[in-house]
Amino acid sequence: MSRVIRSSAFTLAFGYVALGIVALVLFAAPLWYAWRVTINDGRTELLQEDTQRLTAVFRHDGAPGLIAFIDTRVGMQIAGERILLLADASGKPLAGNLPAWPAGVPLHDGTYTVPMALAGQLTDVVVVRSTLPGDFHLLVGRDLARFKPLEARFWYGLAGAVGILSLVGVLGGLHFRRTLMFRVQGIGQTVTAIMQGDLGHRLEIKSSGDELDTLSSTINHLLDQIEQLIHGIRNVSNTIAHDLRTPLAELRSRLEVLALTQPAPAETFAEIDASVADVDRVIRIFNALLRLAEIDAGMRRSGFVQVDATLVVAEVVDFYQPATELKGISLSFRHAGAVPVAGDPVLLAQAVGNLIDNALKYVSPSGSIVVEVAHRDADTVEISVADSGPGISDAEKPRVVERFYRGSASNGTPGIGLGLTLVEAVARLHSGALELVDNHPGLRAVIVIG
Amino acid sequence: MKVLLVEDNERVAGFVVKGLQEAGHTVDHADNGREGMLLAASEPYDVIVMDRMLPGQVDGLAIISALRSTGVRTPILILSALSDVDERIRGLQSGGDDYLTKPFAFGELLARLDALVRRAQVNPTETSLLVGDLHMDLLSRKVVRGNRAIVLQPREFKLLEYLMRHADQVVTRTMLIENVWEYHFDPQTNVIDVHISKLRQRIDVDFERPLLRTVRNAGYMLTANE
Repeated sequence: MSRVIRSSAFTLAFGYVALGIVALVLFAAPLWYAWRVTINDGRTELLQEDTQRLTAVFRHDGAPGLIAFIDTRVGMQIAGERILLLADASGKPLAGNLPAWPAGVPLHDGTYTVPMALAGQLTDVVVVRSTLPGDFHLLVGRDLARFKPLEARFWYGLAGAVGILSLVGVLGGLHFRRTLMFRVQGIGQTVTAIMQGDLGHRLEIKSSGDELDTLSSTINHLLDQIEQLIHGIRNVSNTIAHDLRTPLAELRSRLEVLALTQPAPAETFAEIDASVADVDRVIRIFNALLRLAEIDAGMRRSGFVQVDATLVVAEVVDFYQPATELKGISLSFRHAGAVPVAGDPVLLAQAVGNLIDNALKYVSPSGSIVVEVAHRDADTVEISVADSGPGISDAEKPRVVERFYRGSASNGTPGIGLGLTLVEAVARLHSGALELVDNHPGLRAVIVIG
Repeated sequence: MKVLLVEDNERVAGFVVKGLQEAGHTVDHADNGREGMLLAASEPYDVIVMDRMLPGQVDGLAIISALRSTGVRTPILILSALSDVDERIRGLQSGGDDYLTKPFAFGELLARLDALVRRAQVNPTETSLLVGDLHMDLLSRKVVRGNRAIVLQPREFKLLEYLMRHADQVVTRTMLIENVWEYHFDPQTNVIDVHISKLRQRIDVDFERPLLRTVRNAGYMLTANE
């Protein structure tokens, strides 16, 4: 039971029932008030008119005339409906339907509500008392009991309405709760299944498109993203395991052979140097992965400042210039003045550096690399590195940005397969993208910053 | 020079202590933050090597801040497994003078410690540098070797200035990338070597004795000594 009370559907139903009752009472109260006032006023008016008419008869025909008139009236009317009494100065009844002058009526003329025994029952009666010339006393009144059943019916009606409202509310609440519980339990079961590791589950969506459906479809989107991320992580862990194992395996066998064969010192030191190089390769992979994680987590966005993309790229080009000259490759830089962007200058420099590094690896001597900073449109800036190398086939383009993927042209070149991944991550951090297009011949890598 | 090493990992500490002693330096080792702090505040050291993650959840940066607030001006190199750029910035803001990520090559550590000690001794307001017969005027930005004026690009000038300020010391490629170009990444190609050989062409070719030497497995050294 306490679960029923705690359930939000029940609270909601209870709240609506209470609200309905309050509304009903607020509606009935003025009605009741208006009814009471109208009836009371109308009745008093009627009694006063009656009194005036009787007074007029008295003036015209004197006491005997009035007595005859009252007798006729009393004889005609239904018993108990109206009270008429004419008494002399001593209070002795002369005519009317009361056996004696009632005790509770005040001495002065006026309208009063007094308790009176009528047909053996004590009821409230409204009376108008007036004194006629010659010290006659006239009492005109009306029994309120006649309205009692009406009043009771009003209250019964109101109570009935409250009862029906409560019943319908509670039943509606229970039904609402049942439906809601059913669907919430469904969501709960699915989510539990997902928590236990089966990411394939999705929440059921009814065609009605109600609020729960909206919530469910939002959760489904969330699940899609989580599944994608987890898939990515699994993928990355596999490739990391593979790409770290290779240099570690080399290192291990190198050291093992060294311990086993115990060669001459000169050869031993050469092997130790080679081992250090293996370790350095592992460290480089680690550093690149950590930098990627740092960028992917968006942490570097706090380091964004207003920078001139042209200046940042010019410095990188300057940095690589001697290395390209040495290889006989021409490295040129095209730009059209300052291009301010919000970004991280260190990461942008590294991204452009990676692209030039890549180009340097694949372009043959006497080839060329062209770096360019330009506005694509009013809000978009592109930084491109175009080379005259072998390029990347369309089939491979989407794959080269994957972690550890190395293109088919990379055979024999040094590298860990994270360069373009990092460029792509930097572009994404800057709300942009990395585009790889054909340079006919060669590759044109474009960092688009939105 | 006299070095204080604050490092809780015994093997790393042993390796650093041994290496520094072999290079002819005196080393005190503290394996926790409290002892390190006491030693740093009471003994005159030339340089302090501070690990970041110390026993009892102590962050080396807190110790550095405390030392700096008590007026200890000894140069400090922070050793850390945290490689994020933001962590590096935090390290330098707390009062550290250099930041080296674990794992590191011993040559890199030694070169950086030499550079830190040298920086603390050098008068920052000097207007000219001299190594052998190579003279650099920092105000007019002119370089002369012997009687011949040498024309340098701005970046070449900066590179030579850094090498001259650290004359007779090993300067690693990473130190050059960080201090001359202010980059924090490893170019995959031998970019630094090419810059050095270009500089060598300008200052050493046609002279009997070369000043700019390559130190195998470590980096470069500008020196007039034999």
